[in-house]
Amino acid sequence: MSMRSQVYEWKSQNATAWTNTNTGNSVSIFIGGVGNNITKPAETTATQFVVIEDVAVSPTAFMPSSTIGNGAFYRGLIQGGLGDAGSNGVIGNRAYIQVRINTTDYFLDPDNVGNDGIPGAASPYPRSTNFQPAFNLYPDVYVLPGQVFDALVTCYQNSAFGSSVATNALSAFMKYTLYDGPDALIANKLLEMGISINPGNVDWYKRTLIQSQSAAPMMA
Amino acid sequence: MSMRSQVYEWSNLAASGQTSSLRRTVDAVPVVIPTNREYDIFIGGIGNNITKPAETTATQFIVIEDIACSAYLGGALQVRINTTDYFQNPDVTDQAGVPGLASPYPRGSSDSAVADALTDYVQLLKSFDLYPDVYVLPGQVFQILYSLQSTNGAAAVTTVVAAFVKYTLYDGPDALIANKLLELGVTINPNNVDWYKRTLIEQQQRSRVAAVATNGGSA
Repeated sequence: MSMRSQVYEWKSQNATAWTNTNTGNSVSIFIGGVGNNITKPAETTATQFVVIEDVAVSPTAFMPSSTIGNGAFYRGLIQGGLGDAGSNGVIGNRAYIQVRINTTDYFLDPDNVGNDGIPGAASPYPRSTNFQPAFNLYPDVYVLPGQVFDALVTCYQNSAFGSSVATNALSAFMKYTLYDGPDALIANKLLEMGISINPGNVDWYKRTLIQSQSAAPMMA
Repeated sequence: MSMRSQVYEWSNLAASGQTSSLRRTVDAVPVVIPTNREYDIFIGGIGNNITKPAETTATQFIVIEDIACSAYLGGALQVRINTTDYFQNPDVTDQAGVPGLASPYPRGSSDSAVADALTDYVQLLKSFDLYPDVYVLPGQVFQILYSLQSTNGAAAVTTVVAAFVKYTLYDGPDALIANKLLELGVTINPNNVDWYKRTLIEQQQRSRVAAVATNGGSA
């Protein structure tokens, strides 16, 4: 099992719950100190290669202000906000997810300044007929051996993160494939060759190696 | 990382008392947009903006793959490269561009800006696919222009509208390859850029083998 499809789900109300003080700040879904976390930063060892294939975060709906009241629900999303913004027409968290490799943000604005990342309205988690994806992470994001990777969630609407895991808590999702051992070496080789790294191409490279090995004795 | 999938999301939300901001702000409120006027979603002075006009440097190549906007109030998006509008009427006159009804954002949203009933509401799908893609060559300026036919502002109620652009940024050597593919008349996408790289590598290997053969087996 040296090629493995992996997922990571983050929920803001697990363990240390998200509060309004976190709103407006980017928070790591792995080690951000909010929601469910892991024991150390996400990184690849010298014999691992990770391909991130999808990232998604809680969706947002846009409406006229004052359409629904503060705390009311629309298509499963809560109207948040504080004070005058309690009915600003933003339903849900207005959340974004950014991918960071070592210290470099992957998603940039057209002025080459790092931005908040993919909006939940474009890549919603969970997906539904109400909230469908408009974004597909292609080409994939490669995490080379020895690199640290992270996913950072930022949201801009107070009091919309849900009160518990049971409700529509602010959440995020990452889908990636982990290549380990010999398959990580093949992934590096494919990268050198300018070939997309996916399980199909890794298998193709293995078949090519086997064919060339079996052809050699016949030639001898 | 010289081929990167990028997105830009714009909405008419700004801090209370302001019409625009460089960074998104917490609990922002919607801004009224004058009707039948085009606003650049990057530097138009409404909602979240960036620091300078969107442009490619000499070593960048951009392929715009999708545009979408709110489906209500007659919203539409136009793409402008330098001073040329991409979408035009059959009589070559100006038009607003792709309607939000044809390319809604968010996907699955309603065609009406009112809270819909649980038993009877619309979940829009896209009717429009931006294919072939729009190319922004090195050194070109591009704008995404949003316009409304009906006002989004009424007494004490302002509607939030949003727009979305998905593009791929080719940088450095990959931008050179993108230019080469353009010359060759081959569609520019990550697969074809990878294909061109593989072709180059194979050519190099073949010429190395040929050189060895010419030298009588010694490199």
